[in-house]
Amino acid sequence: MADHVATPDSRGIGRSLLLTLPVALWALLMFSRALGVPGVAVKVAALLTLIFLVTLFFLMVRTRQTNRWRRWFFATLGFLFPIGFIWELIALRGSMSIPMEKMIAGDTPFCFMVIPMILLPAALTRTVIFPGAILPTASNPHSIAVMIGLWMAATLVLGKGWCAYGCFFGGIEEGIAAMPRKARIRKIDGRWRLVPWAVLAAIVLLSLATLAPTYCEWLCPFKTITEYAEVRSIETAIQAGIFLSLFLGLVIVLPWLTKKRTQCAFFCPFGAFQSLFNKIHIFEIRIRRDECKDCVSCQNSCPTMALSKQSVADGKTLINCMHCGACVDVCHKDAAVWHIKGTPVGAAPERARLLHLYAAWGFAIMFGGSIIAGTLTKMLGFLG
Amino acid sequence: MRLLTEAALLGLASGPACLASCGPVLAPWLVAERAGWRRALGLLSVFLGGRLAGYLLFAIAAGLLGATMPLGARARALLFAAAHLGLAATLVVYGLRPRRGRPEPPLVTIGPARRSWMPVLLGLFTGVNLCPPFVVAAVRAMETGSVAGAVLFFLAFFTGTAVWFVPFAALGALRVAETAATVARYTMLALAAYYAYLGILTLLARLLDG
Repeated sequence: MADHVATPDSRGIGRSLLLTLPVALWALLMFSRALGVPGVAVKVAALLTLIFLVTLFFLMVRTRQTNRWRRWFFATLGFLFPIGFIWELIALRGSMSIPMEKMIAGDTPFCFMVIPMILLPAALTRTVIFPGAILPTASNPHSIAVMIGLWMAATLVLGKGWCAYGCFFGGIEEGIAAMPRKARIRKIDGRWRLVPWAVLAAIVLLSLATLAPTYCEWLCPFKTITEYAEVRSIETAIQAGIFLSLFLGLVIVLPWLTKKRTQCAFFCPFGAFQSLFNKIHIFEIRIRRDECKDCVSCQNSCPTMALSKQSVADGKTLINCMHCGACVDVCHKDAAVWHIKGTPVGAAPERARLLHLYAAWGFAIMFGGSIIAGTLTKMLGFLG
Repeated sequence: MRLLTEAALLGLASGPACLASCGPVLAPWLVAERAGWRRALGLLSVFLGGRLAGYLLFAIAAGLLGATMPLGARARALLFAAAHLGLAATLVVYGLRPRRGRPEPPLVTIGPARRSWMPVLLGLFTGVNLCPPFVVAAVRAMETGSVAGAVLFFLAFFTGTAVWFVPFAALGALRVAETAATVARYTMLALAAYYAYLGILTLLARLLDG
Protein backbone atom coordinates (compact mmCIF):
# COMPACT_ATOMS: atom_id res chain seq x y z
CA MET A 1 0.00 0.00 0.00
CA ALA A 2 2.99 2.31 -0.35
CA ASP A 3 1.85 5.00 -2.74
CA HIS A 4 3.98 8.08 -3.24
CA VAL A 5 3.06 10.69 -0.66
CA ALA A 6 4.44 14.06 0.31
CA THR A 7 6.26 13.92 3.63
CA PRO A 8 5.58 16.91 5.84
CA ASP A 9 7.38 17.40 9.14
CA SER A 10 6.43 14.79 11.68
CA ARG A 11 4.91 15.76 14.98
CA GLY A 12 6.86 14.94 18.17
CA ILE A 13 6.16 11.61 19.85
CA GLY A 14 5.02 13.13 23.15
CA ARG A 15 2.63 15.53 21.49
CA SER A 16 1.36 12.80 19.19
CA LEU A 17 0.70 10.53 22.18
CA LEU A 18 -1.14 13.32 23.95
CA LEU A 19 -3.34 13.93 20.89
CA THR A 20 -3.98 10.20 20.60
CA LEU A 21 -5.06 9.88 24.22
CA PRO A 22 -8.76 10.81 23.67
CA VAL A 23 -9.05 8.24 20.91
CA ALA A 24 -7.33 5.60 23.03
CA LEU A 25 -9.77 6.27 25.87
CA TRP A 26 -12.71 6.09 23.47
CA ALA A 27 -11.42 2.79 22.10
CA LEU A 28 -11.01 1.44 25.64
CA LEU A 29 -14.57 2.43 26.40
CA MET A 30 -15.84 0.79 23.22
CA PHE A 31 -13.98 -2.46 23.81
CA SER A 32 -14.27 -2.55 27.62
CA ARG A 33 -17.27 -4.88 27.43
CA ALA A 34 -15.47 -7.33 25.16
CA LEU A 35 -12.35 -7.16 27.31
CA GLY A 36 -14.44 -8.02 30.36
CA VAL A 37 -16.33 -11.06 29.09
CA PRO A 38 -15.03 -14.60 29.61
CA GLY A 39 -13.30 -16.26 26.67
CA VAL A 40 -9.77 -15.77 25.42
CA ALA A 41 -10.72 -15.29 21.76
CA VAL A 42 -13.01 -12.33 22.52
CA LYS A 43 -10.40 -10.64 24.69
CA VAL A 44 -7.54 -11.18 22.25
CA ALA A 45 -9.63 -10.00 19.29
CA ALA A 46 -10.75 -6.87 21.14
CA LEU A 47 -7.20 -6.12 22.28
CA LEU A 48 -5.73 -6.63 18.81
CA THR A 49 -8.38 -4.39 17.26
CA LEU A 50 -7.89 -1.73 19.90
CA ILE A 51 -4.11 -1.68 19.43
CA PHE A 52 -4.50 -1.68 15.64
CA LEU A 53 -6.90 1.25 15.55
CA VAL A 54 -5.16 3.37 18.17
CA THR A 55 -1.78 2.78 16.50
CA LEU A 56 -3.16 3.88 13.16
CA PHE A 57 -4.55 7.03 14.72
CA PHE A 58 -1.22 7.72 16.41
CA LEU A 59 0.52 7.37 13.03
CA MET A 60 -1.98 9.71 11.41
CA VAL A 61 -1.30 12.29 14.08
CA ARG A 62 2.48 11.85 14.08
CA THR A 63 3.02 11.81 10.30
CA ARG A 64 0.25 14.35 9.58
CA GLN A 65 -0.95 11.98 6.88
CA THR A 66 -4.48 10.66 6.77
CA ASN A 67 -5.20 8.40 3.83
CA ARG A 68 -1.91 6.53 4.07
CA TRP A 69 -2.97 4.98 7.41
CA ARG A 70 -6.74 5.13 7.02
CA ARG A 71 -6.46 2.74 4.08
CA TRP A 72 -5.05 -0.01 6.31
CA PHE A 73 -8.08 0.19 8.56
CA PHE A 74 -10.49 0.42 5.67
CA ALA A 75 -9.05 -2.46 3.67
CA THR A 76 -8.95 -4.61 6.83
CA LEU A 77 -12.60 -3.79 7.45
CA GLY A 78 -13.44 -4.54 3.82
CA PHE A 79 -11.82 -7.96 3.86
CA LEU A 80 -12.96 -9.02 7.32
CA PHE A 81 -16.60 -7.92 7.00
CA PRO A 82 -17.65 -10.53 4.42
CA ILE A 83 -15.84 -13.26 6.34
CA GLY A 84 -17.71 -12.42 9.53
CA PHE A 85 -21.02 -11.87 7.77
CA ILE A 86 -20.92 -15.09 5.77
CA TRP A 87 -19.80 -16.93 8.91
CA GLU A 88 -22.88 -15.60 10.70
CA LEU A 89 -25.20 -16.53 7.82
CA ILE A 90 -23.85 -20.06 7.64
CA ALA A 91 -24.23 -20.42 11.41
CA LEU A 92 -27.80 -19.10 11.31
CA ARG A 93 -29.15 -20.72 8.14
CA GLY A 94 -26.44 -23.01 6.82
CA SER A 95 -26.28 -21.09 3.54
CA MET A 96 -25.55 -17.68 2.06
CA SER A 97 -28.79 -17.69 0.11
CA ILE A 98 -31.94 -16.46 1.77
CA PRO A 99 -35.05 -18.56 1.17
CA MET A 100 -38.33 -16.89 0.22
CA GLU A 101 -40.00 -17.97 3.47
CA LYS A 102 -37.30 -16.15 5.47
CA MET A 103 -37.90 -12.99 3.42
CA ILE A 104 -41.62 -13.20 4.02
CA ALA A 105 -40.93 -13.64 7.73
CA GLY A 106 -38.91 -10.38 7.65
CA ASP A 107 -35.60 -12.09 8.35
CA THR A 108 -33.57 -10.27 5.68
CA PRO A 109 -30.79 -8.19 7.28
CA PHE A 110 -31.28 -4.52 6.40
CA CYS A 111 -28.47 -2.89 4.46
CA PHE A 112 -27.89 0.86 4.27
CA MET A 113 -27.82 0.64 0.45
CA VAL A 114 -31.61 0.30 0.55
CA ILE A 115 -32.21 3.66 2.23
CA PRO A 116 -32.57 5.86 -0.90
CA MET A 117 -35.07 3.39 -2.35
CA ILE A 118 -37.39 3.18 0.63
CA LEU A 119 -37.80 6.90 1.33
CA LEU A 120 -40.33 7.89 -1.37
CA PRO A 121 -42.46 4.73 -1.13
CA ALA A 122 -42.48 5.12 2.67
CA ALA A 123 -43.58 8.75 2.37
CA LEU A 124 -46.32 7.97 -0.16
CA THR A 125 -47.60 4.60 1.00
CA ARG A 126 -46.45 4.41 4.64
CA THR A 127 -44.87 1.09 3.79
CA VAL A 128 -41.22 0.01 4.03
CA ILE A 129 -40.53 -1.86 0.80
CA PHE A 130 -37.96 -4.21 2.28
CA PRO A 131 -38.48 -7.74 3.61
CA GLY A 132 -36.86 -6.99 6.95
CA ALA A 133 -37.94 -6.32 10.51
CA ILE A 134 -38.41 -2.79 11.86
CA LEU A 135 -37.02 -3.72 15.28
CA PRO A 136 -34.25 -6.23 16.01
CA THR A 137 -35.25 -9.84 16.54
CA ALA A 138 -33.27 -12.86 17.69
CA SER A 139 -33.03 -14.16 14.13
CA ASN A 140 -32.41 -10.76 12.55
CA PRO A 141 -30.44 -8.29 14.65
CA HIS A 142 -29.72 -6.08 11.59
CA SER A 143 -33.14 -4.46 11.68
CA ILE A 144 -34.37 -1.48 9.69
CA ALA A 145 -34.60 0.93 12.66
CA VAL A 146 -31.13 0.03 13.95
CA MET A 147 -29.44 0.45 10.58
CA ILE A 148 -31.21 3.71 9.74
CA GLY A 149 -30.35 5.11 13.17
CA LEU A 150 -26.73 4.14 12.69
CA TRP A 151 -26.67 5.63 9.21
CA MET A 152 -28.20 8.92 10.41
CA ALA A 153 -25.63 9.23 13.17
CA ALA A 154 -22.81 8.43 10.76
CA THR A 155 -24.11 10.89 8.20
CA LEU A 156 -24.28 13.71 10.73
CA VAL A 157 -20.71 13.02 11.78
CA LEU A 158 -19.15 12.08 8.46
CA GLY A 159 -21.27 13.27 5.53
CA LYS A 160 -19.93 11.51 2.48
CA GLY A 161 -17.05 10.44 4.73
CA TRP A 162 -19.22 7.37 5.35
CA CYS A 163 -17.69 6.01 2.17
CA ALA A 164 -14.17 6.36 3.60
CA TYR A 165 -14.71 5.31 7.21
CA GLY A 166 -17.92 3.31 7.39
CA CYS A 167 -18.75 1.46 4.19
CA PHE A 168 -17.22 -1.99 4.53
CA PHE A 169 -18.02 -2.67 0.87
CA GLY A 170 -15.76 0.19 -0.23
CA GLY A 171 -12.97 -1.30 1.85
CA ILE A 172 -12.74 -4.29 -0.46
CA GLU A 173 -12.20 -2.09 -3.49
CA GLU A 174 -9.76 0.08 -1.60
CA GLY A 175 -7.72 -2.99 -0.72
CA ILE A 176 -7.74 -4.30 -4.28
CA ALA A 177 -6.90 -0.88 -5.74
CA ALA A 178 -3.93 -0.55 -3.40
CA MET A 179 -2.32 -3.81 -4.53
CA PRO A 180 -0.83 -3.10 -7.98
CA ARG A 181 2.09 -0.69 -8.18
CA LYS A 182 0.76 1.19 -11.19
CA ALA A 183 -2.57 1.70 -12.87
CA ARG A 184 -2.98 -0.04 -16.22
CA ILE A 185 -5.86 2.21 -17.22
CA ARG A 186 -5.13 5.86 -16.54
CA LYS A 187 -7.31 7.86 -18.88
CA ILE A 188 -10.89 7.76 -17.66
CA ASP A 189 -13.54 10.09 -19.04
CA GLY A 190 -14.76 12.28 -16.19
CA ARG A 191 -18.36 11.85 -17.23
CA TRP A 192 -18.36 8.30 -15.89
CA ARG A 193 -18.67 9.90 -12.48
CA LEU A 194 -22.21 10.93 -13.45
CA VAL A 195 -23.30 7.31 -13.78
CA PRO A 196 -23.95 6.74 -10.03
CA TRP A 197 -26.40 9.64 -10.13
CA ALA A 198 -28.18 8.04 -13.07
CA VAL A 199 -28.28 4.67 -11.29
CA LEU A 200 -29.62 6.44 -8.21
CA ALA A 201 -32.35 8.19 -10.21
CA ALA A 202 -33.27 4.98 -12.02
CA ILE A 203 -33.54 2.84 -8.89
CA VAL A 204 -35.47 5.48 -6.96
CA LEU A 205 -37.98 5.81 -9.83
CA LEU A 206 -38.26 2.08 -10.39
CA SER A 207 -38.58 1.35 -6.67
CA LEU A 208 -41.41 3.84 -6.52
CA ALA A 209 -43.04 2.30 -9.58
CA THR A 210 -42.65 -1.33 -8.55
CA LEU A 211 -42.69 -0.89 -4.76
CA ALA A 212 -39.69 -3.19 -4.51
CA PRO A 213 -36.02 -2.45 -3.73
CA THR A 214 -34.85 -2.65 -7.33
CA TYR A 215 -31.15 -2.25 -6.61
CA CYS A 216 -31.11 -5.15 -4.14
CA GLU A 217 -33.05 -7.33 -6.54
CA TRP A 218 -30.99 -6.65 -9.61
CA LEU A 219 -27.84 -4.62 -9.27
CA CYS A 220 -26.03 -4.94 -5.96
CA PRO A 221 -22.54 -6.33 -6.60
CA PHE A 222 -22.12 -7.07 -2.91
CA LYS A 223 -24.85 -9.69 -2.89
CA THR A 224 -22.04 -11.92 -4.09
CA ILE A 225 -20.32 -11.74 -0.71
CA THR A 226 -23.28 -11.20 1.59
CA GLU A 227 -26.56 -12.91 0.82
CA TYR A 228 -28.84 -13.32 -2.16
CA ALA A 229 -32.25 -14.71 -2.98
CA GLU A 230 -32.18 -18.48 -3.25
CA VAL A 231 -31.67 -19.52 -6.89
CA ARG A 232 -34.88 -21.32 -7.77
CA SER A 233 -35.83 -19.93 -11.19
CA ILE A 234 -34.40 -18.42 -14.36
CA GLU A 235 -35.02 -14.99 -12.90
CA THR A 236 -33.08 -15.61 -9.68
CA ALA A 237 -30.31 -17.27 -11.72
CA ILE A 238 -30.06 -14.14 -13.90
CA GLN A 239 -29.99 -11.99 -10.78
CA ALA A 240 -27.17 -14.06 -9.29
CA GLY A 241 -25.28 -13.80 -12.60
CA ILE A 242 -25.65 -10.01 -12.61
CA PHE A 243 -24.45 -9.76 -8.99
CA LEU A 244 -21.38 -11.88 -9.69
CA SER A 245 -20.50 -10.07 -12.94
CA LEU A 246 -20.79 -6.65 -11.33
CA PHE A 247 -18.73 -7.77 -8.35
CA LEU A 248 -15.94 -9.23 -10.45
CA GLY A 249 -15.92 -6.31 -12.87
CA LEU A 250 -16.38 -3.32 -10.60
CA VAL A 251 -14.92 -4.52 -7.30
CA ILE A 252 -12.05 -6.75 -8.41
CA VAL A 253 -10.88 -6.26 -12.00
CA LEU A 254 -11.39 -2.54 -12.59
CA PRO A 255 -9.97 -1.38 -9.22
CA TRP A 256 -6.91 -3.50 -10.01
CA LEU A 257 -6.55 -1.96 -13.49
CA THR A 258 -7.30 1.64 -12.56
CA LYS A 259 -6.20 1.88 -8.91
CA LYS A 260 -9.54 3.64 -8.34
CA ARG A 261 -12.58 2.61 -6.35
CA THR A 262 -14.51 2.01 -9.55
CA GLN A 263 -17.72 0.67 -8.03
CA CYS A 264 -17.88 3.66 -5.69
CA ALA A 265 -16.88 6.20 -8.33
CA PHE A 266 -18.82 4.96 -11.34
CA PHE A 267 -21.74 2.90 -10.10
CA CYS A 268 -22.76 3.08 -6.43
CA PRO A 269 -26.11 4.88 -6.09
CA PHE A 270 -25.78 5.05 -2.31
CA GLY A 271 -22.51 6.94 -2.70
CA ALA A 272 -24.28 9.46 -4.92
CA PHE A 273 -27.07 9.77 -2.38
CA GLN A 274 -24.57 10.20 0.44
CA SER A 275 -22.79 12.94 -1.54
CA LEU A 276 -25.84 15.14 -1.01
CA PHE A 277 -24.99 15.26 2.70
CA ASN A 278 -21.65 16.89 1.96
CA LYS A 279 -23.70 20.05 1.61
CA ILE A 280 -24.48 20.03 5.33
CA HIS A 281 -21.16 18.55 6.48
CA ILE A 282 -18.87 21.11 8.10
CA PHE A 283 -15.56 19.61 6.97
CA GLU A 284 -14.29 19.78 3.43
CA ILE A 285 -11.09 19.83 1.42
CA ARG A 286 -10.14 22.98 -0.44
CA ILE A 287 -7.38 23.82 -2.89
CA ARG A 288 -5.43 27.01 -2.19
CA ARG A 289 -5.08 28.52 -5.63
CA ASP A 290 -2.16 30.72 -4.60
CA GLU A 291 -0.12 27.62 -3.67
CA CYS A 292 -1.33 25.22 -6.38
CA LYS A 293 1.07 24.48 -9.26
CA ASP A 294 -1.49 22.47 -11.23
CA CYS A 295 0.63 19.35 -11.03
CA VAL A 296 -2.58 17.23 -11.03
CA SER A 297 -1.18 14.92 -8.33
CA CYS A 298 -4.35 15.47 -6.33
CA GLN A 299 -6.55 14.54 -9.27
CA ASN A 300 -4.54 11.41 -9.97
CA SER A 301 -4.54 10.33 -6.34
CA CYS A 302 -8.28 10.65 -5.76
CA PRO A 303 -9.79 7.14 -5.60
CA THR A 304 -13.24 8.36 -6.65
CA MET A 305 -12.26 11.07 -9.15
CA ALA A 306 -13.71 13.77 -6.92
CA LEU A 307 -11.35 16.39 -8.35
CA SER A 308 -11.48 17.74 -11.88
CA LYS A 309 -9.44 20.36 -13.67
CA GLN A 310 -12.31 22.79 -13.25
CA SER A 311 -12.89 22.02 -9.59
CA VAL A 312 -9.19 22.48 -8.82
CA ALA A 313 -9.30 25.79 -10.68
CA ASP A 314 -12.26 26.72 -8.47
CA GLY A 315 -10.31 25.66 -5.37
CA LYS A 316 -12.81 22.94 -4.43
CA THR A 317 -13.45 19.25 -4.65
CA LEU A 318 -16.52 17.88 -6.39
CA ILE A 319 -19.62 16.95 -4.41
CA ASN A 320 -18.60 13.27 -4.34
CA CYS A 321 -15.49 13.92 -2.20
CA MET A 322 -15.42 11.35 0.62
CA HIS A 323 -12.79 13.15 2.72
CA CYS A 324 -10.28 10.32 2.59
CA GLY A 325 -7.43 12.82 2.52
CA ALA A 326 -5.53 11.22 -0.38
CA CYS A 327 -5.18 14.54 -2.21
CA VAL A 328 -3.90 16.31 0.90
CA ASP A 329 -1.38 13.54 1.52
CA VAL A 330 0.15 13.77 -1.97
CA CYS A 331 0.21 17.55 -2.34
CA HIS A 332 3.81 18.70 -2.13
CA LYS A 333 2.87 22.36 -1.98
CA ASP A 334 0.32 22.06 0.81
CA ALA A 335 -2.20 23.53 -1.58
CA ALA A 336 -4.81 20.85 -0.82
CA VAL A 337 -5.93 21.50 2.75
CA TRP A 338 -8.57 20.42 5.24
CA HIS A 339 -11.05 23.15 5.94
CA ILE A 340 -13.96 23.91 8.23
CA LYS A 341 -16.76 25.70 6.43
CA GLY A 342 -17.18 29.30 7.51
CA THR A 343 -13.50 29.78 8.37
CA PRO A 344 -10.81 31.27 6.11
CA VAL A 345 -9.28 28.68 3.76
CA GLY A 346 -5.84 27.61 4.93
CA ALA A 347 -6.17 29.33 8.32
CA ALA A 348 -5.65 26.18 10.43
CA PRO A 349 -5.78 23.16 8.12
CA GLU A 350 -4.10 20.74 10.54
CA ARG A 351 -6.58 21.66 13.26
CA ALA A 352 -9.42 21.05 10.81
CA ARG A 353 -7.92 17.69 9.86
CA LEU A 354 -7.59 16.62 13.50
CA LEU A 355 -11.12 17.70 14.36
CA HIS A 356 -12.44 15.74 11.39
CA LEU A 357 -10.31 12.76 12.35
CA TYR A 358 -11.54 12.69 15.94
CA ALA A 359 -15.11 12.47 14.68
CA ALA A 360 -14.37 10.03 11.87
CA TRP A 361 -12.08 7.78 13.87
CA GLY A 362 -14.48 7.77 16.78
CA PHE A 363 -17.11 6.39 14.45
CA ALA A 364 -14.61 4.02 12.81
CA ILE A 365 -13.72 2.51 16.19
CA MET A 366 -17.34 2.11 17.18
CA PHE A 367 -18.66 0.70 13.90
CA GLY A 368 -15.75 -0.75 11.92
CA GLY A 369 -13.88 -1.72 15.07
CA SER A 370 -16.74 -3.86 16.31
CA ILE A 371 -16.95 -5.60 12.92
CA ILE A 372 -13.19 -6.26 12.86
CA ALA A 373 -13.18 -7.50 16.45
CA GLY A 374 -16.25 -9.65 15.87
CA THR A 375 -14.72 -11.39 12.86
CA LEU A 376 -11.38 -11.83 14.60
CA THR A 377 -13.19 -13.43 17.54
CA LYS A 378 -14.84 -15.94 15.21
CA MET A 379 -11.53 -16.70 13.48
CA LEU A 380 -9.57 -17.05 16.72
CA GLY A 381 -12.35 -19.18 18.21
CA PHE A 382 -12.24 -21.41 15.14
CA LEU A 383 -8.47 -21.78 15.44
CA GLY A 384 -8.99 -22.80 19.05
CA MET B 1 -72.98 8.51 -21.32
CA ARG B 2 -72.85 6.30 -18.25
CA LEU B 3 -70.12 4.21 -19.89
CA LEU B 4 -68.06 7.30 -20.76
CA THR B 5 -68.35 8.61 -17.22
CA GLU B 6 -67.26 5.21 -15.98
CA ALA B 7 -64.26 5.28 -18.35
CA ALA B 8 -63.23 8.78 -17.30
CA LEU B 9 -63.57 7.91 -13.62
CA LEU B 10 -61.62 4.71 -14.16
CA GLY B 11 -58.86 6.76 -15.78
CA LEU B 12 -58.91 9.33 -13.02
CA ALA B 13 -58.81 6.69 -10.31
CA SER B 14 -56.05 4.79 -12.09
CA GLY B 15 -53.87 7.87 -12.41
CA PRO B 16 -51.36 6.91 -9.69
CA ALA B 17 -50.89 3.50 -11.32
CA CYS B 18 -50.34 5.20 -14.67
CA LEU B 19 -47.84 7.58 -13.09
CA ALA B 20 -46.01 4.64 -11.53
CA SER B 21 -45.62 2.96 -14.90
CA CYS B 22 -44.94 6.06 -17.02
CA GLY B 23 -43.30 8.36 -14.44
CA PRO B 24 -39.91 6.63 -14.56
CA VAL B 25 -39.75 7.33 -18.29
CA LEU B 26 -41.36 10.73 -18.29
CA ALA B 27 -39.38 12.30 -15.43
CA PRO B 28 -35.80 11.82 -16.74
CA TRP B 29 -36.88 12.58 -20.30
CA LEU B 30 -38.38 15.94 -19.39
CA VAL B 31 -35.43 16.83 -17.15
CA ALA B 32 -33.06 15.96 -20.01
CA GLU B 33 -34.99 18.25 -22.33
CA ARG B 34 -34.48 21.42 -20.23
CA ALA B 35 -37.25 22.78 -22.37
CA GLY B 36 -38.81 25.63 -20.41
CA TRP B 37 -42.53 25.90 -19.63
CA ARG B 38 -43.94 26.42 -23.10
CA ARG B 39 -41.89 23.76 -24.85
CA ALA B 40 -42.30 21.36 -21.94
CA LEU B 41 -46.06 21.62 -22.26
CA GLY B 42 -45.70 21.10 -26.01
CA LEU B 43 -43.52 18.03 -25.51
CA LEU B 44 -45.89 16.65 -22.93
CA SER B 45 -48.75 17.12 -25.37
CA VAL B 46 -46.86 15.20 -28.05
CA PHE B 47 -46.08 12.48 -25.52
CA LEU B 48 -49.72 12.29 -24.51
CA GLY B 49 -50.63 12.26 -28.20
CA GLY B 50 -48.47 9.16 -28.63
CA ARG B 51 -50.08 7.67 -25.59
CA LEU B 52 -53.53 8.39 -26.98
CA ALA B 53 -52.51 6.80 -30.27
CA GLY B 54 -51.51 3.66 -28.35
CA TYR B 55 -54.85 3.65 -26.55
CA LEU B 56 -56.81 4.13 -29.75
CA LEU B 57 -54.93 1.41 -31.61
CA PHE B 58 -55.69 -0.91 -28.76
CA ALA B 59 -59.29 0.29 -28.67
CA ILE B 60 -59.75 -0.45 -32.37
CA ALA B 61 -58.27 -3.93 -31.85
CA ALA B 62 -60.49 -4.43 -28.80
CA GLY B 63 -63.54 -3.26 -30.73
CA LEU B 64 -62.76 -5.56 -33.65
CA LEU B 65 -62.10 -8.56 -31.43
CA GLY B 66 -65.22 -7.90 -29.42
CA ALA B 67 -66.32 -9.26 -26.12
CA THR B 68 -66.45 -12.81 -27.42
CA MET B 69 -62.70 -13.01 -27.77
CA PRO B 70 -60.86 -11.68 -24.72
CA LEU B 71 -57.16 -11.02 -24.99
CA GLY B 72 -55.43 -14.38 -24.48
CA ALA B 73 -52.39 -14.96 -22.31
CA ARG B 74 -50.13 -15.49 -25.31
CA ALA B 75 -51.23 -12.34 -27.12
CA ARG B 76 -51.00 -10.37 -23.88
CA ALA B 77 -47.44 -11.56 -23.29
CA LEU B 78 -46.39 -10.74 -26.83
CA LEU B 79 -47.92 -7.29 -26.66
CA PHE B 80 -46.31 -6.66 -23.29
CA ALA B 81 -42.91 -7.80 -24.59
CA ALA B 82 -43.19 -5.77 -27.79
CA ALA B 83 -44.18 -2.61 -25.90
CA HIS B 84 -41.31 -2.97 -23.46
CA LEU B 85 -38.72 -3.75 -26.11
CA GLY B 86 -39.96 -0.83 -28.20
CA LEU B 87 -39.76 1.44 -25.18
CA ALA B 88 -36.24 0.23 -24.37
CA ALA B 89 -35.09 0.83 -27.94
CA THR B 90 -36.56 4.34 -27.95
CA LEU B 91 -34.90 5.16 -24.65
CA VAL B 92 -31.54 3.90 -25.89
CA VAL B 93 -31.73 5.91 -29.10
CA TYR B 94 -32.90 8.96 -27.18
CA GLY B 95 -30.23 8.63 -24.53
CA LEU B 96 -27.34 8.10 -26.90
CA ARG B 97 -28.11 10.54 -29.67
CA PRO B 98 -26.33 13.88 -29.58
CA ARG B 99 -28.45 16.75 -28.41
CA ARG B 100 -29.29 19.31 -31.01
CA GLY B 101 -27.05 22.38 -30.74
CA ARG B 102 -24.83 20.78 -28.05
CA PRO B 103 -21.25 20.51 -29.29
CA GLU B 104 -20.01 18.29 -26.45
CA PRO B 105 -19.91 14.67 -27.63
CA PRO B 106 -21.60 12.14 -25.38
CA LEU B 107 -19.72 9.07 -24.18
CA VAL B 108 -21.36 7.05 -26.94
CA THR B 109 -23.12 8.53 -29.95
CA ILE B 110 -25.43 6.99 -32.48
CA GLY B 111 -27.38 8.63 -35.27
CA PRO B 112 -28.05 12.28 -36.01
CA ALA B 113 -29.58 14.74 -33.58
CA ARG B 114 -32.95 13.64 -32.24
CA ARG B 115 -36.22 14.17 -34.06
CA SER B 116 -39.58 15.16 -32.73
CA TRP B 117 -41.18 11.75 -33.24
CA MET B 118 -39.30 10.37 -30.23
CA PRO B 119 -41.86 11.68 -27.71
CA VAL B 120 -44.61 10.07 -29.80
CA LEU B 121 -42.87 6.72 -29.54
CA LEU B 122 -42.28 7.16 -25.81
CA GLY B 123 -45.97 7.92 -25.36
CA LEU B 124 -47.03 5.05 -27.60
CA PHE B 125 -44.95 2.40 -25.87
CA THR B 126 -45.77 3.57 -22.37
CA GLY B 127 -49.43 3.85 -23.38
CA VAL B 128 -49.72 0.22 -24.46
CA ASN B 129 -48.83 -0.97 -20.99
CA LEU B 130 -50.79 -3.87 -19.67
CA CYS B 131 -51.07 -2.55 -16.15
CA PRO B 132 -54.22 -3.60 -14.22
CA PRO B 133 -56.26 -0.42 -14.98
CA PHE B 134 -55.41 -0.71 -18.67
CA VAL B 135 -56.54 -4.34 -18.73
CA VAL B 136 -59.78 -3.38 -16.97
CA ALA B 137 -60.31 -0.62 -19.56
CA ALA B 138 -59.59 -3.07 -22.38
CA VAL B 139 -62.10 -5.61 -21.09
CA ARG B 140 -64.79 -2.96 -20.65
CA ALA B 141 -64.02 -1.55 -24.12
CA MET B 142 -64.41 -5.03 -25.60
CA GLU B 143 -67.75 -5.36 -23.88
CA THR B 144 -69.07 -2.35 -25.81
CA GLY B 145 -69.09 -4.67 -28.80
CA SER B 146 -68.22 -2.01 -31.41
CA VAL B 147 -65.11 -0.20 -32.60
CA ALA B 148 -66.70 3.22 -32.08
CA GLY B 149 -67.77 2.30 -28.56
CA ALA B 150 -64.31 0.99 -27.68
CA VAL B 151 -62.64 4.09 -29.11
CA LEU B 152 -64.95 6.37 -27.16
CA PHE B 153 -64.34 4.37 -24.01
CA PHE B 154 -60.56 4.63 -24.37
CA LEU B 155 -60.82 8.36 -25.22
CA ALA B 156 -62.65 8.95 -21.96
CA PHE B 157 -60.24 6.69 -20.09
CA PHE B 158 -57.30 8.61 -21.58
CA THR B 159 -58.81 11.95 -20.54
CA GLY B 160 -59.07 10.69 -16.98
CA THR B 161 -55.47 9.52 -16.81
CA ALA B 162 -54.04 12.52 -18.71
CA VAL B 163 -54.95 14.89 -15.85
CA TRP B 164 -52.30 13.23 -13.71
CA PHE B 165 -49.55 13.95 -16.22
CA VAL B 166 -49.92 17.73 -16.36
CA PRO B 167 -47.74 18.43 -13.27
CA PHE B 168 -44.86 16.67 -15.05
CA ALA B 169 -44.49 19.74 -17.26
CA ALA B 170 -42.82 21.40 -14.27
CA LEU B 171 -39.90 18.99 -14.64
CA GLY B 172 -39.39 20.12 -18.21
CA ALA B 173 -39.54 23.71 -17.06
CA LEU B 174 -36.64 23.21 -14.67
CA ARG B 175 -33.56 24.99 -15.96
CA VAL B 176 -31.22 22.36 -14.60
CA ALA B 177 -27.47 22.39 -15.21
CA GLU B 178 -26.08 20.60 -18.24
CA THR B 179 -24.69 17.98 -15.87
CA ALA B 180 -28.15 17.16 -14.53
CA ALA B 181 -29.48 16.85 -18.07
CA THR B 182 -26.66 14.43 -18.88
CA VAL B 183 -27.47 12.42 -15.75
CA ALA B 184 -31.10 12.30 -16.86
CA ARG B 185 -30.05 10.89 -20.23
CA TYR B 186 -27.91 8.23 -18.56
CA THR B 187 -30.91 7.44 -16.36
CA MET B 188 -32.91 6.78 -19.50
CA LEU B 189 -30.28 4.30 -20.60
CA ALA B 190 -30.43 2.54 -17.23
CA LEU B 191 -34.21 2.37 -17.52
CA ALA B 192 -33.87 1.06 -21.07
CA ALA B 193 -31.88 -1.88 -19.70
CA TYR B 194 -34.65 -2.58 -17.21
CA TYR B 195 -37.45 -2.47 -19.79
CA ALA B 196 -35.42 -4.51 -22.27
CA TYR B 197 -34.92 -7.12 -19.58
CA LEU B 198 -38.66 -7.20 -18.84
CA GLY B 199 -39.45 -7.60 -22.55
CA ILE B 200 -36.89 -10.33 -23.12
CA LEU B 201 -37.88 -12.24 -19.99
CA THR B 202 -41.55 -12.16 -21.02
CA LEU B 203 -40.68 -13.41 -24.50
CA LEU B 204 -38.46 -16.16 -23.13
CA ALA B 205 -41.13 -17.24 -20.68
CA ARG B 206 -43.65 -17.48 -23.53
CA LEU B 207 -41.23 -19.43 -25.71
CA LEU B 208 -40.36 -21.85 -22.91
CA ASP B 209 -44.04 -22.36 -22.13
CA GLY B 210 -44.69 -23.06 -25.82
